[in-house]
Amino acid sequence: MTALAITEMTNWAVDLIDVRKTYRGRVQALKGVNIQVGRGEIFGLLGPNGAGKTTLVKIMMTVVKPTRAFGTILGRPLGHRGKLARVGYLPESHRFPGYLTGAQLLDYYAALAKVPLAKRKANAPRLLDRVSMTAWANTRIDRYSKGMIQRLGIAQALMNDPELVVLDEPTDGLDPVGRRDVRQLLLELKSKGTTVLLNSHLLSELEMVCDRVSILVDGLVARQGTLSELTERTLEYRVHFKGQVGAEGEKLRALGGHLDGDVVTFPGRDVGKVNAAIDVLRGAGVLIESVQPRKLSLEEIFVEAMTAKPNPRGAR
Amino acid sequence: MQFWAIIIDSFRESKDRKIFWVMLLLSSVVAAAMFCVSFQPGRVDIMFGMWTIETSAFTSADGLRADRLAAVIIDGIMDHVLGFVGIVLSVIATANFIPNFVERGTVDLVLSKPIPRWRLLLYRYLGAMSFLGVQTAFFVVLTFLVAGVRWNVWLPGYLLSIPLIILLFSFLYCISALVGLITRSTITAILLTLLGWVIIAGVQSLDDMFVLYPDWQKSEAAYHTARTARWIVPKTSDMTRLAKRWGHATNFLFLVEPETTKDRELVQRAEKQEAQRAAMNPVVIIGSSLLFEVCVVLIAMFKFSRTDY
Ligand SMILES: Nc1ncnc2c1ncn2[C@@H]1O[C@H](COP(=O)(O)OP(=O)(O)OP(=O)(O)O)[C@@H](O)[C@H]1O
Ligand SMILES: [Mg+2]
Repeated sequence: MTALAITEMTNWAVDLIDVRKTYRGRVQALKGVNIQVGRGEIFGLLGPNGAGKTTLVKIMMTVVKPTRAFGTILGRPLGHRGKLARVGYLPESHRFPGYLTGAQLLDYYAALAKVPLAKRKANAPRLLDRVSMTAWANTRIDRYSKGMIQRLGIAQALMNDPELVVLDEPTDGLDPVGRRDVRQLLLELKSKGTTVLLNSHLLSELEMVCDRVSILVDGLVARQGTLSELTERTLEYRVHFKGQVGAEGEKLRALGGHLDGDVVTFPGRDVGKVNAAIDVLRGAGVLIESVQPRKLSLEEIFVEAMTAKPNPRGAR
Repeated sequence: MQFWAIIIDSFRESKDRKIFWVMLLLSSVVAAAMFCVSFQPGRVDIMFGMWTIETSAFTSADGLRADRLAAVIIDGIMDHVLGFVGIVLSVIATANFIPNFVERGTVDLVLSKPIPRWRLLLYRYLGAMSFLGVQTAFFVVLTFLVAGVRWNVWLPGYLLSIPLIILLFSFLYCISALVGLITRSTITAILLTLLGWVIIAGVQSLDDMFVLYPDWQKSEAAYHTARTARWIVPKTSDMTRLAKRWGHATNFLFLVEPETTKDRELVQRAEKQEAQRAAMNPVVIIGSSLLFEVCVVLIAMFKFSRTDY
């Protein structure tokens, strides 16, 4: 209870503590997840298929009941219904009723979210325009393409001018322009102070917009932090050169370098080794073109997190 | 606001279905067929005289015998058209409302709205009922107008069958909703609802038999079981009887020619049924059936609020 009292005071938009879910049929989807999302932040949730990302999102949206969970969403305990009026949600692989038109759909879900009529009337055209769907507003959804449905879904999640938007794979099915639009939209939301929690497999996209990410593996948080925190931790140096190293290659390997054509790579942060290597190269009479510290990409961190089991308790 | 959003959505879904329009068309066909019937002294003309039935059952020296006509119309409609074909079609037409609603990918969004799950289900349930409401009202009002305009037989009591049929349908629809919610299968919902209806009707007619054949009551255990069972099940047959009574339909004795009226047993049975009908207490019939419905709907709500989607 004290844990709860403390989190009530902090100003997280989303504060999840020890979220566990065991589905019927004994699938342990979440094994004690802790995630904090600050207000106005874009937070990325990533992880391999079946890691429990959707389960976590569904628990936040009261679609699934947790086996055990503490925490708050927008300052209210998890599962508080009233606060859901301030949250926008795009479910994974959603299916909208085909007999509605785009405009009718926006109005229907917004009415369920208790958005007053006047605001619905104002927001629907604005958001349809924002996702480039104005021309299709009065067409039945069963005539839409997959990406059009996805655009409509994103518009739908914003109809209540939410404080928190939860998007489960928002760029699923979108073309490159559509994906760029979504990225811009997310940054717009952020600039207005909206908190965004999203979940995607497109790491390069998350890298472009997210302030912080959490990597979920097998129902547990394997890595969490800002992108720079995660990427700074591991470095490698790449030395580009011009010319033939010849027999000196053996010395480079002895220093721990990987020689590949005219690049030699040193994993780790040992600058001494890099300088020793430069001496070797200079001695061999080759020209140094550049020395680059390279940060790991999100993808590499992701793969690393996936292969290294984070917590022995989590092993099935 | 949330209530109307769901009702309007259910209505849009109904309108999107062919069966909705087919049923309206069938109603119009029945009304048109009625329109093609006219009553002349000593005979009934069908299709403007294409066929003729010689009978003076519906006419007297002063003209049309409205009470007899009303009896035939209301009886026929309640037993066959509305009370049977209409209900079966409606059970089929509405069975996928709940399975569609709880489909994966569709239900997630509505569950994430600031509205308790039990209310979501209740509104949706009422939404499905509005399908039948429209159909019933259309049929009853249309046939009411045809009888009035064509034959000058105005039957205001007949209009009461609109709420009665809706109630009757709801007693069956709760079964469909519960089955549809649990199995998410339209076919299963239809089959189990119709099976349920057969059982319910069986329980009621078994109990009726004890009234018609008092000898049977000697087997006390069977008699009490039948009585209790009838108390529990929704009283679908009684609902149509009630609709007939309120529509002031009399019995069919007048159709039997005076010679055959010597058949005392037939007359007695008809009289007993008449007495039974008159003795029905609408409050008990509707109240106990509603109790059944409320219990089934509560079970469905409980199930719905505990399921992970
Ligand atoms: N309704 C359910 N009943 C039983 N098990 C479920 C249910 N939903 C999900 N699971 C299980 O829970 C685990 C996590 O699933 P979840 O959908 O949360 O993964 P995810 O991270 O969203 O995966 P993806 O990237 O493929 O979307 C999986 O092992 C899955 O089989
Ligand atoms: Mg998922």
